[in-house]
Amino acid sequence: MLKKIPNLALILILFALLTGSFLQAQQRFPKPEFDTGYVQPDPTTPEPRAMALEYFDVLVLLAVLSLASWLAVKKRSRRGLLWLSVFSLIYFGFYRDGCICSIGAIQNVALSIFDPGYAISITALLFFILPLLFALFFGRTFCAAACPLGAIQDLVVINPVSIPSWIRKTLGFIPVIYLALSVLFAATGSDFIICRYDPFVGIFRMDGPFLMIFLGITFLLLGMFYARPYCRVFCPYGVLLSWMSKFSKWHLSITPSECIKCKLCKDSCPFDAIEVPVEQAYRTPEVSRKNLKRFILYIGLIPVLILLGGWIGSKSHIFLSRVHPDVYLAELMISQPELKEDEENLDIQAFLESGDTFEQLVDQAAVIREKFRKGSLVMGGFIGLALGITLMNQVVFRRREDYEPHKGDCFSCGRCMDYCPIDSQKSKGESQKLNVESLKLKVENQKSVKSKG
Amino acid sequence: MKNNLDQEQRISLAHRVALISGIFCGVVALLLILNFWHMKQHEPLESKTIEVLVERLSSEPGNEELKEEIRSFDLLARKAYFTSRWQVKTGTWLLLFGGIVMAASLKVYTDLRARIEAPEKVTEELLRARANSQYWLMVAGGLILGFSLVAGYLSNDYLKEYQAMGVVEETEQPQDGIEVIKVFPAQESADTLGSDSAIEQEGASGAEAIEGAGDETETATQPVAVQTTSRFNRDDFKTNQATFRGYMGQGVSYHKNIPEKWNGSTGENIKWKVAFSKPGYNTPVIWDDKLFISGGDAASRVVACYNRNNGQLLWEKEVTGIPGSPAAMPRVTDDTGLAAPTMAVDGNRVYAIFATGDVVAFDLQGNKIWGRNLGVPNNHYGHSSSLQVWENKLVVQYDTNTRGRMLALNTANGETLWDVERPVHISWASPALIEVNGKIQVITTADPYVSGHDLETGAEIWKVEAMMGEVGPSVAYEDGLVYATNEYARLVAVEPKPGAEFTWEDDEYLSEAASPVAYNGLLYLATSYGVLVCYDALTGEKQWEKEYNEGFYSSPMIADGKLYIIDLDGVTHIIKADRSGTVVADPELGEGGFALPVFADGVIYLRGMEHLYCVGE
Ligand code: SF4
Ligand code: SF4
Repeated sequence: MLKKIPNLALILILFALLTGSFLQAQQRFPKPEFDTGYVQPDPTTPEPRAMALEYFDVLVLLAVLSLASWLAVKKRSRRGLLWLSVFSLIYFGFYRDGCICSIGAIQNVALSIFDPGYAISITALLFFILPLLFALFFGRTFCAAACPLGAIQDLVVINPVSIPSWIRKTLGFIPVIYLALSVLFAATGSDFIICRYDPFVGIFRMDGPFLMIFLGITFLLLGMFYARPYCRVFCPYGVLLSWMSKFSKWHLSITPSECIKCKLCKDSCPFDAIEVPVEQAYRTPEVSRKNLKRFILYIGLIPVLILLGGWIGSKSHIFLSRVHPDVYLAELMISQPELKEDEENLDIQAFLESGDTFEQLVDQAAVIREKFRKGSLVMGGFIGLALGITLMNQVVFRRREDYEPHKGDCFSCGRCMDYCPIDSQKSKGESQKLNVESLKLKVENQKSVKSKG
Repeated sequence: MKNNLDQEQRISLAHRVALISGIFCGVVALLLILNFWHMKQHEPLESKTIEVLVERLSSEPGNEELKEEIRSFDLLARKAYFTSRWQVKTGTWLLLFGGIVMAASLKVYTDLRARIEAPEKVTEELLRARANSQYWLMVAGGLILGFSLVAGYLSNDYLKEYQAMGVVEETEQPQDGIEVIKVFPAQESADTLGSDSAIEQEGASGAEAIEGAGDETETATQPVAVQTTSRFNRDDFKTNQATFRGYMGQGVSYHKNIPEKWNGSTGENIKWKVAFSKPGYNTPVIWDDKLFISGGDAASRVVACYNRNNGQLLWEKEVTGIPGSPAAMPRVTDDTGLAAPTMAVDGNRVYAIFATGDVVAFDLQGNKIWGRNLGVPNNHYGHSSSLQVWENKLVVQYDTNTRGRMLALNTANGETLWDVERPVHISWASPALIEVNGKIQVITTADPYVSGHDLETGAEIWKVEAMMGEVGPSVAYEDGLVYATNEYARLVAVEPKPGAEFTWEDDEYLSEAASPVAYNGLLYLATSYGVLVCYDALTGEKQWEKEYNEGFYSSPMIADGKLYIIDLDGVTHIIKADRSGTVVADPELGEGGFALPVFADGVIYLRGMEHLYCVGE
């Protein structure tokens, strides 16, 4: 009960903060309507930066990534990672207004691949590649300390609850779909949905449409109990990072030397990213046979899923393509011709004033729809493939002796390291964060484990 | 021990800090919300006082004192505004500060209180967990794929439709687009429909017509025979309510002996009642013993013919095979539908128009004679102007969002006789005919002109700027005066001649959909909010007004010296058409309706939302 009060209070202040900023957004002099050709600056897109400063951002990223990797893998300091993430939050988040961002860079890369007319800036490319490279070697240290979105969510983790793995796995499939959609929309030049629905950018900029701020606040409130909700259920970049991280050679480990299976760290991860040892019980011939059967079934299923996904994807291209403004406008004007008279429909009025003929618009829309037909086919196939592989992974039991972070899901935040008694035994000064009682408990536990052994 | 105590103290300190900062935040937030609410209530910048003062200043521009007062009020308002802005800003910062303190202390508090719990014995049963994951992954994957598939199948590819249609939006169909069925030499059909003197020989013509109806099956199998020379007799149009609002579209019936009492629910005085197949708001039209309605939905458009003596369906034909007819139905509103316009019949053929722009002619036996598409009308409610027919001309008022337009089609083959552009906005009113100096004029009303066109050539004879908005009511006419009205515009009486001016005008009661009717020196008008008014037709002086609970979309008709009007509930209000306005009766139909009453000798035909009724004593 007592534990609940602080949570409630926190909800209250967050709500208050929300209303505060919302009130501010409401009470303004109406924007003047100039006839002088003055264009209102768009508050959600910051001014472009000077080239030199952009390179500076890359340098900062590189430094943060290196430092984070060192802190996670070598120095094993949760505190260091925490402060580094606060720095990133302030620098990449509040100071740089959440732009440039590795997550959004996916779209720039996708567009540059599919639209030869679009030249990607070297900064965007580096922001996309560097974290992936680091993940390939050191795990998701980007998520631990460099990503402002991750940092702001990590800071509000107060009382995380553990989620059953089937929910996690199922929810964990959403980012794959999000990734596929954002690449499709970016590649067809329709929309940058990652940026449009970035929940925290409104908070970083202390301004933005109501919905954006509301989303951000909701994610933060949710994040107190379901740790890092955006990272786990939406982040499309996380999918790529997770793939890379699975191959990482020098991933953060919970224990500095040998795992004594004291189970102390088991519940320490707010993200349920710690994997328990795979016991012998699961490795009986009977179970193995059953698993093998399933494995073969899923392997066979993968091509079917790819084909099915591709087929359904291509069937979906019509409604998906409506995200593109031209397609949307063309269809709107075909289905509701009376809107041409509607003075208040700015899109249509703008088109009518542009001097293009309606036929041109329809032709243009048809070209885009054709792109969508191909793109959706590939996207559907990809989703089918991903589903198949995820299913397959569920029947693969790799031999595991120790408590280990799941290399794909672990954000390298370092919390679990503090729970490992071996670590704290080694460097006493570090263990100040744990209270005496728990230390005692640790020692007792160790004893009991040892005596059992 | 000492350390432990410290720990306890630290915990309670953190707790207290968290609590106090929490309360602080709550209070600040509350104040902020109050402030916001207050500002919403009396927005200082939009103060009424200043408005009033400024208004006063415009009447006495020299008043220095007043100016001073306005200035000080304005200053006050601005001060209030900025103070409140300051409060909001400060409040937000305080809130932010409090929030940070609270979050930090909470964090310390939970960290200090955190204990490592003894590890649980039961670990998540790995195998079961994995099996669960597989199951739910498949379910979720299946759902997503399924939904996408359904959505994919449900989404309409407008682009493809558009390109396939090669849309000829409101461009004139080439003449060869008209489908004309070969015309055979005249062969008077057996039904002898349209005996010229029907008004005197009521009984006889009825009997013959039924015979004709019986022949229908026979004629359908024979080669289609169509009269080359269309017969035309004015009196037939007085006998038969053959077009929207009867003879010349003026709303006056020439029949006597009209029932005044009935009840659709109990069946009192209901001679027959039939359900029709497709919805439509059009009013039935009559020729001798045949009664015609049209209907339509997205699936198909139909024209149906009934024996008006017993309600037997004689034929119902789908309107198909019209070149240029759109594959996808144009968007129409529910209160207009695809078959709002009333048909026209001239004894030779029956003509219908639909919201698709399809115009079609059937002979009275149900053989399609011709059909053409006038271009899908760009009309945001749906086309609803009814047809008029006179001699060999079928008059179509075709004002759309694209342009104002009126055509006359050759009733025999659908060819365009004239097609004039009109300088008006879209309208939903129907053309009426009047005779001035022996010449028939087509009178139309739309925003902004009420105008008269020569029926022979389509040439505009006169026009007067009088209307505004979305014009629905058609005109009334009597004794050399045309009456036109529309909601948000005005009610005017004008002489139908070049350079016409308003004889009188009024704007107390205006009608939105129901057309006015003039009769015996009086003008009647019904509003969509349920008021029925009577004016002196020559002076515009109001004679009487009655208010009803339901509004009127259906227009009043005059028959047998009485005014009949049906409200939206299906109640017919019958009132003496004179200066007394004596109420005769208010019989109920039992279902709502938009259509007008259709009069014949001793009977009324009423079309509800679902049924067609024949009322007779
Ligand atoms: S998962 Fe995505 S949002 Fe979360 S920290 Fe990693 S990159 Fe950032
Ligand atoms: S470092 Fe440890 S606590 Fe942090 S996400 Fe990885 S496994 Fe979980």
